[in-house]
Amino acid sequence: MVELKPIRMDEAARYLGYGDQTPDETILTLMKECEAPLMEACHPAYSVGIFELECCSEDEVRLADCALTLTGKDIVKHLVGCTKVAIVAATLGSGVDTLMRRLQLTNMPKALLTDAMAGAAIEQICDDIQSEIQGKMPLFRQTWRFSPGYGDLPLALQDELLAAVEANKRIGLMTTDSHMLTPLKSVTAIIGLQDMTKELRKVATEDGDAISAPVGACAAGACAGCAYHDSCLTRQDKTAEEPQDT
Amino acid sequence: MAENRQILILDGAMGTELQAAGLPVGGIPEVWNIEHPEEVTAIHRRYIEAGSQVVYTNTFGANRLKMAKAGYPLQALIVSAIGNARAAVVETGRPDVKVAMDIGPIGRLIEPLGDMSFDEAYDIFAEEMRAAKGADMIVIETMSDLSETKAAVLAAKENTDLPVFVTMSFEANSRTFTGTSIASMALTFSDMGIDGIGMNCSLGPEELLPMVKELYTCTKLPLVVKPNAGLPDPATNTYNVLPEEFGAIMRKMLPYGVCAVGGCCGTSPEYIRELVRVVREWEAERDAVEAGKNGSDEAAKSFYPDDYEELTTLRNTRPTGIASASKAVWFTEPRCIGERINPTGKKRFKEALQNGDMDYILGQAISQVEAGAEILDVNVGLPGIDETAMMVRVIRELQAVVDVPLQIDSNKPEVLEAALRIYCGKPLVNSVNGEEKSLTSILPLVKKYGAAVVGLTLDENGIGKTAEERFAVAEKIVSRAEAAGIRRENLQIDCLTLTASAEQAGVAETLKAVAMVHDRLHLGAVLGVSNVSFGLPNRDVINTAFLTMALQNGLTLPIMNPNSEGMMGALRAYRVLMNIDKNSLAYMDAYRDWQPAQTVVVAAGAAGAAGAVANAGVSAPTGDTVAADIAAKLGDGAASLYTAVVRGLAAQGTELTKSLLGTMDSMDIVNGVLIPALDTVGAGFEKGRIFLPQLILSASVVQGAFSEIKNHMRASGADAVSKGTIVLATVKGDIHDIGKNIVKVLLENYGFTVVDLGRDVEIEAVVKAARETGTPLVGLSALMTTTLPSMRDTIVALREAGLPCKVVVGGAVLTPEYAAEIGADYYGRDAKATVDIAREVFGV
Repeated sequence: MVELKPIRMDEAARYLGYGDQTPDETILTLMKECEAPLMEACHPAYSVGIFELECCSEDEVRLADCALTLTGKDIVKHLVGCTKVAIVAATLGSGVDTLMRRLQLTNMPKALLTDAMAGAAIEQICDDIQSEIQGKMPLFRQTWRFSPGYGDLPLALQDELLAAVEANKRIGLMTTDSHMLTPLKSVTAIIGLQDMTKELRKVATEDGDAISAPVGACAAGACAGCAYHDSCLTRQDKTAEEPQDT
Repeated sequence: MAENRQILILDGAMGTELQAAGLPVGGIPEVWNIEHPEEVTAIHRRYIEAGSQVVYTNTFGANRLKMAKAGYPLQALIVSAIGNARAAVVETGRPDVKVAMDIGPIGRLIEPLGDMSFDEAYDIFAEEMRAAKGADMIVIETMSDLSETKAAVLAAKENTDLPVFVTMSFEANSRTFTGTSIASMALTFSDMGIDGIGMNCSLGPEELLPMVKELYTCTKLPLVVKPNAGLPDPATNTYNVLPEEFGAIMRKMLPYGVCAVGGCCGTSPEYIRELVRVVREWEAERDAVEAGKNGSDEAAKSFYPDDYEELTTLRNTRPTGIASASKAVWFTEPRCIGERINPTGKKRFKEALQNGDMDYILGQAISQVEAGAEILDVNVGLPGIDETAMMVRVIRELQAVVDVPLQIDSNKPEVLEAALRIYCGKPLVNSVNGEEKSLTSILPLVKKYGAAVVGLTLDENGIGKTAEERFAVAEKIVSRAEAAGIRRENLQIDCLTLTASAEQAGVAETLKAVAMVHDRLHLGAVLGVSNVSFGLPNRDVINTAFLTMALQNGLTLPIMNPNSEGMMGALRAYRVLMNIDKNSLAYMDAYRDWQPAQTVVVAAGAAGAAGAVANAGVSAPTGDTVAADIAAKLGDGAASLYTAVVRGLAAQGTELTKSLLGTMDSMDIVNGVLIPALDTVGAGFEKGRIFLPQLILSASVVQGAFSEIKNHMRASGADAVSKGTIVLATVKGDIHDIGKNIVKVLLENYGFTVVDLGRDVEIEAVVKAARETGTPLVGLSALMTTTLPSMRDTIVALREAGLPCKVVVGGAVLTPEYAAEIGADYYGRDAKATVDIAREVFGV
């Protein structure tokens, strides 16, 4: 089970543009005041599906026994070296949307802070889901979370992604006509799972051959000194380019 | 127990059975109706052979949106689904088995949670219903959103004559994903003419058992229960309750008004077989107990669970109530109906209606709820506005921000019907009266939409002078309502408050009529309390006394101002003194922070606030010289207000503005204090010394100050001064609008009038607003790359319409280059930059 933990204020501050700086006392106090109503409004729910990676071409990934086909070169790169794929859908629930609407009418500063804190909360939930997967599949290494709309993976895949984990029914997560997730504070993600007991293979990419590091070389934090640093497609020190949520 | 002599056995899961037969995860199950009809029929057949008396067609997602990629016409998918179920009925030689057209959620959320309109949802369901002609009944299941469920029920009732079951999916917190409570579901549908109500999916029988008991106490409809086979393992998707255990727990539900049982996800024919065994065994025992075969009352007592009698008593004695999606308000005790959403005698409210200023109206609602209103009256009748459109809009927006149920206040049937249709939950209609015209036009609406209604005790002869005359009208309304098929308890009688200053002797007649309604009709009584004091000074004293007297006579629904401390106090005290508010818990909660009133001297208050400002810490970085400058030119009070804005001190800012308005010209405060303060903060923001939250904090102080200034100007009869009108919208397809709302606050801070079109705004709506306002500047916002084309199309449309306006665009994924590429005049990097652009365009 994934439960909502105290919200990481430093993460929320980062979303608010503070970078590594700490907000002043007034803002921190306000954030504290926002926390209880936010926690009360949150009803986190998630649905995970783990699928075998069936076949992978230059710009398409298919999953075994699943109607979902992932398209685009970027998702192919993301899943290089993976044998399984976890599809994750998570949401804080519609209560947060209602809270946000009310706050925007009554207290805009709190609305802004709550929005960022809710952003931090949903990311925490996703981190916890990944830990849970890790606990169940200790021999697999996970990639970072790739979502529809990143790179050339179409946002329109959102509906099929939800269908693959029955997210409509199981967690009440829907899309709009333009494929946006509702409730608003929700995430869908595609996580590649690498079997660490197997050697990684050479893969063809548009830039020519690329090599993923052999598993044995991948001690935590070893990326910087690794001989495969530049060519490795599953490097752990890569920073995710995530679109910023305002 | 007559309603459940023979409990119907429904079927089990379809989806998991199809997957076992080879349907890929995430595939479209309905396609199999055409491509693998024999597999679908085989599943139905196995359920019938296991004992199902009703089979659900394989049409859970058969709506035009989900079937867009199915490759077959919707009609064909549904007709073949019904055909497959019929084939199983024929093959098994069981013509008694019913085929139920299965209707699941659309997969989109209705406004305001999502982007689908109520009418669109209705159309989608209506199309499904019309295709379901060959079925024996309709089952609307696995619903989460109450609005969507209501659209489905209306579609079923208006497009078929078939019996309807409604089951929603509840989570462990006894609410659906969108927050619908069990009581809200029960109240909403109990009087809408459906045949069974209940819950399915989401949880196993163990988790649903207490919820079934709760539902039993909330409705007199037969209950339908179709749980999952326990809880799924998120990794393996297997369920943890086996058939035998499933049956054993289901048996515990049967006494509580259950008329139909089956299984949802993870259940199979094996579960149904076990269910049949358990149900029939229980029925035999029940019949034996009731026939006295087992001897005594003792046997009956031990047959029914311990809580059965208590719950049954509650079910049979609890009066009805009304509901929003998340909150049910039972008519069990006096409840405050907030009266403030009504333009009568309120200049500011009329302005808000004329300008479509929703923020003001919603603000009035929130403040009443915070003050303790449990129901809000909504009246938007004003000459010159489209009351139907406004009522629908206000109800929709109100229901997005407050959770209390609403009283729909209009005497026009067309307004009431439009509102009743889209209202999410069960509302109270205000009102019907004893006039023939009113009775014949309003009562059928109340019946159709399953609402409660206020009956006004007046008729063609006007308001009766005596209590007896009004009571006679009440009796007439009751009998006519019952004849129209409305359950009596859904009526609340308004005995009409007269004004003490004009008809002093009439006040006692009103009180007497209330008592007669209470004692003889045993119905709830409504009164518009505040009318009593019209024309007298210190109205609150009269109102409070009258309220207390009326409560004592049987008033249950006072329509009043919840922001009046005296009246709310009287209501709370009444509940304590009459032993309604047990242990005074609600009373103590309401007065938790209560302090004896203190005499406040305005000047001292201002000085205190200024002192607090001075003591609050260091001044803003670049503020010192400006503050000193303002102090020198405009005085210390002005300088304190400046500092309050810079430091984001909202309460002090409002107090200081109030006190400054006594000595300074409004526009001097705006131009001499507030705008320089915003500029200071804005400069700090641009230099990266302060961050967005601080900027918005300062902006909210200015918002509070502006509100004081506007009140002051309105009171002195002056028109509010605006620096110009700007149209803002989050473009079509985009529903993230906090960025746009931040820009709005800041623009208003600088004295601009903002016409806020909201989010997901149609291109034509932007063009129309730009044309009607003649604005020189339109601001468009978009969050996602996928909605940028919609931003471009909006700009193109504005240009093609030949409008002279400039366009500023902003949003997380925009760049100056892209802004130029799509033809925008300006790129608003952030809220502050957008304000600078507006000042440039307007030359202010």
